[in-house]
Amino acid sequence: EAWVQGAGMSSSTTSGQGQGDEAPDLVCVVDCVHGMVDALSCVRWNKHQGAVVELSEHGIVVTVEESGCLQAKVYLKTELFAEYDYGAEGRPRFGLSLGLLVDCLNMFTVPGFASPVGIRYPGPDMQLLLRSVGSPDACIHAEIRTRIPDTVAWDYHFEHAGNTPVTFTVKSAILKESIDDLEWPGSSIQIHFHPDPPSVIFKGEGHGDLEIEFSYYANTDLLIAFQCDQELSYRYKYKFLRATTSNVPSSVLKENRGSKVTIGRGGMLKIQHLVSVARLGTQSYHNFAGGAQQPSRIAFIEFFVKPEEDD
Amino acid sequence: MELSMSGGALRTFSRCVTCLARIGSDLVFQAYPDKLELHTLNSSRSAFASVSLTRDFFDHFHLPADAYADAAPSSTPLQCSVLLKSVLAVLRTPTSAIDRLNASLPNPQASKLEFVIHCVSGRKKTHRISCSAESDVQTLALDRNGFPSRLAIRPRDLTRLLSNFQSSLQELTVIATEPAARLPGVDDGTGGKAVELLSYIDPTKDDYDSRLHTQLWIDPAEEFLEYEHAGDPVDVTFGVKELKAFLTFCEGCEVDILLFYQKAGEPVLLAPRFGFDDGSSSNFDVTLVLATMLVSQLNDGSVPQQPPTSAHHAEEPRAAAAAPSPVPENVSNHTRIWSELSGLTPKSFEANAENRAQKERNGRANVLNDTSVLPNTNAPCKLPVTYNANYIEQPVQMDHLEEPPG
Repeated sequence: EAWVQGAGMSSSTTSGQGQGDEAPDLVCVVDCVHGMVDALSCVRWNKHQGAVVELSEHGIVVTVEESGCLQAKVYLKTELFAEYDYGAEGRPRFGLSLGLLVDCLNMFTVPGFASPVGIRYPGPDMQLLLRSVGSPDACIHAEIRTRIPDTVAWDYHFEHAGNTPVTFTVKSAILKESIDDLEWPGSSIQIHFHPDPPSVIFKGEGHGDLEIEFSYYANTDLLIAFQCDQELSYRYKYKFLRATTSNVPSSVLKENRGSKVTIGRGGMLKIQHLVSVARLGTQSYHNFAGGAQQPSRIAFIEFFVKPEEDD
Repeated sequence: MELSMSGGALRTFSRCVTCLARIGSDLVFQAYPDKLELHTLNSSRSAFASVSLTRDFFDHFHLPADAYADAAPSSTPLQCSVLLKSVLAVLRTPTSAIDRLNASLPNPQASKLEFVIHCVSGRKKTHRISCSAESDVQTLALDRNGFPSRLAIRPRDLTRLLSNFQSSLQELTVIATEPAARLPGVDDGTGGKAVELLSYIDPTKDDYDSRLHTQLWIDPAEEFLEYEHAGDPVDVTFGVKELKAFLTFCEGCEVDILLFYQKAGEPVLLAPRFGFDDGSSSNFDVTLVLATMLVSQLNDGSVPQQPPTSAHHAEEPRAAAAAPSPVPENVSNHTRIWSELSGLTPKSFEANAENRAQKERNGRANVLNDTSVLPNTNAPCKLPVTYNANYIEQPVQMDHLEEPPG
């Protein structure tokens, strides 16, 4: 493309440092920046968070974590991009500020200037380069400094608790509302799976007690899916649980999407959301239970929460 | 005790709790065989709100028979006390999302009051709130027929009248006189403004000068649905915050407001006006009793002799206090008298400010105490309260004029 070789971008080609000889690891174009911002904002529970970005031929994964107890991943598969040219060997990883990335992308969504964004890595100084493309008259250009990730990302291999997963799926809006309600007792929340009669109970105890029961037979619409062959009960810190739904974008709630909650071996909690990253001009659709009509236009968000240790 | 409610009753219950939460911080539940009562008392003991819900209000109302020594309605009720903000947390779920709400207290000594919300979505939310089963709870019962004067007003009309006052206004004075006789030849638009609303600002406060002082003259025939007042002018001064809480409640329930009053120092009673048969057809009732200031704005002796248009106070910064009185020429003597009083000139006011301030410190007792008196006695100016036992807090403000209780 013109801007890879064009003036202003290719000081490296003449610098003699040898970088100009190598193709960049990644050159891609995002045509729905707003959706990308939604997906990344979903994992932004603190103002200042460091993220680890991993590039591969399958797409981009952004990982965020806190205190070794909470981790979130955003999977941006290649189908979400208008263009995706991957040139690296292996999987480059780098760290940057998630807030900076989101705020930077937001700059490209200025009303009246909604143009696709081209992203390139690495720049001459290993920075992430962003540039508005598609408009011949004006250009927004940004670069974000990256760093070598300090520690190996906490790479948890989620294993199922037993032979079959212990999981349920419920509307994201209802999950979020339930977790919001549990702020009142706060501190520590117990999640209890009950195989027979099939139900899940979220329970918090504080100055007052609150129990929220999702019973499979209460209402056919409530639990979209439920699977549980053993009784399971673990406790999680409220603030981590809260982070899993506090920034779910409004599009998720409006589109009636479902979120999937699974407890794995050792009590590791996994919560998955789907965020649509629709192409510009695509009609928005409403599909109950979160089934996507165009599965390639969905970003997958995963949260992992470690259980509290029993005393 | 086990209760269940849904639909319109649930919405009314939610409004009751919201109203009570704007007045006090503790909610006392008292369950009788035929009704449930909810009470709250504010921290300065100047406002007491009470909600009464009959059996019919609920879809299901069950009290264990053995909670009562006998079945008489006057027997000791099953009761407990919880924090209002906890009940508000329960009601955070919008009523439109609630199929039904159950409340239960397993036994009189139970430590937790349980609320179960069955959501439309199928979720079941169970709240358990710590409660204390206080055996000594104060209640207040005033007979509304014992008040000589009353008025009834639509909530939206009261909102409109109150909108003329600074929104941060804390106390309001209502001056009521006999409705002026219709005089021949009088222009209807100017005569007969028998009621006045005055902002009450504490003269001892530093920001007295910078506050907005407002006076409003009202023709009861135009603004009120009912107005009964006979005899001398009286004034009552009470808290606006509690009044607004009650106003919001009546607005939500689409009922008009009744205000019963007697005179300065005697409490006022507010109640919803259900149709014309005084609430006998309603399955719920709410009353709000507010203590009023002992010091009357009419009879405190600071009557200025100058008319409000006097020129020699032009340089005083408090000229705003003397709003020009729209007193027409041929009105009754009563109307003229209190218009002059309310149009206090800054100069005379300053002279009397210290006097007034001293009376404030002595006489300012919007306080409930333990004297069990009815409003029409000569006891000085307290909200009468009946006690079962020793649940007494020290009054927030001491009153030197107070007679010893008992």
